[in-house]
Amino acid sequence: MIGLTHYIVLSGILFAIGVTGVMTSRSVLKILISLELLLAASNLSFVAFSRFNGDYTGQLIVFFVILVAAAEVAVGLAIVVLMYRNFSTIQADDLKDLKW
Amino acid sequence: MTSFFFYFFATVLILSGLAVVLARNPLYNVLSLVVAIFSLSSLFMLMEAFFVGVFLLLVYAGAVLVFFLFVVMLLNLNSPPTITAQQGRFRVWGWLLGLLLTCEFVLTIQSFLKAQALEPSTVRGTIETIGRILFTEYLLPFELTSFLLLIAIFGIVSLAKGALNTGASS
Repeated sequence: MIGLTHYIVLSGILFAIGVTGVMTSRSVLKILISLELLLAASNLSFVAFSRFNGDYTGQLIVFFVILVAAAEVAVGLAIVVLMYRNFSTIQADDLKDLKW
Repeated sequence: MTSFFFYFFATVLILSGLAVVLARNPLYNVLSLVVAIFSLSSLFMLMEAFFVGVFLLLVYAGAVLVFFLFVVMLLNLNSPPTITAQQGRFRVWGWLLGLLLTCEFVLTIQSFLKAQALEPSTVRGTIETIGRILFTEYLLPFELTSFLLLIAIFGIVSLAKGALNTGASS
């Protein structure tokens, strides 16, 4: 029987994969994609807790998380395109104008 | 039957998540994120969260992933960047930290939830039940979210306009 623990462990593994992606990737686009993986992992644990506690609030929070993630992706990708126009690179390491 | 589907979709989810992180080509990153979102939505369906599952498919696989594909296409990102020695060292540390985090999560969750075995409830996230709560109890956050989306649109338009203006003047 599939219990709450299965879903939470799966969510934890997915979150760790996403964190690894954010830390190891150099391209800003790939960091944004890995952030989507982090949000997906937290959504999974929200729905699992909602299912096993008998409360709809978790699913509502997932609804709001998806909406806010859509706004975040739109603004983030606009910034990535601007960054490519101004510096003709999307590597996070190449942006060191503020470093002294 | 349910456990078979759970393990199947969980395996697909983890493999495609690894592909998101590991693939060199940005196009493959985005496409494996599509696979991950599809299997996540299937897991939501298994937990009878129907509305949220369909919403995830519509917004992510329908809108967000198209954004990503457009940007990959627009920037023409085909060649993977070369990695210097310093970046390689950072990458090793990142993988070690990620592995540590995985072990920590699994151990913590196993020890925490071993005692209590919760039975699945009769919660069914249909459009009717979710909509009823959304438009009564959570009406203010709902309206605020629409306001947030409006502000995001303003931000994107002003970013694009600024880029156009500097492009015209230079």
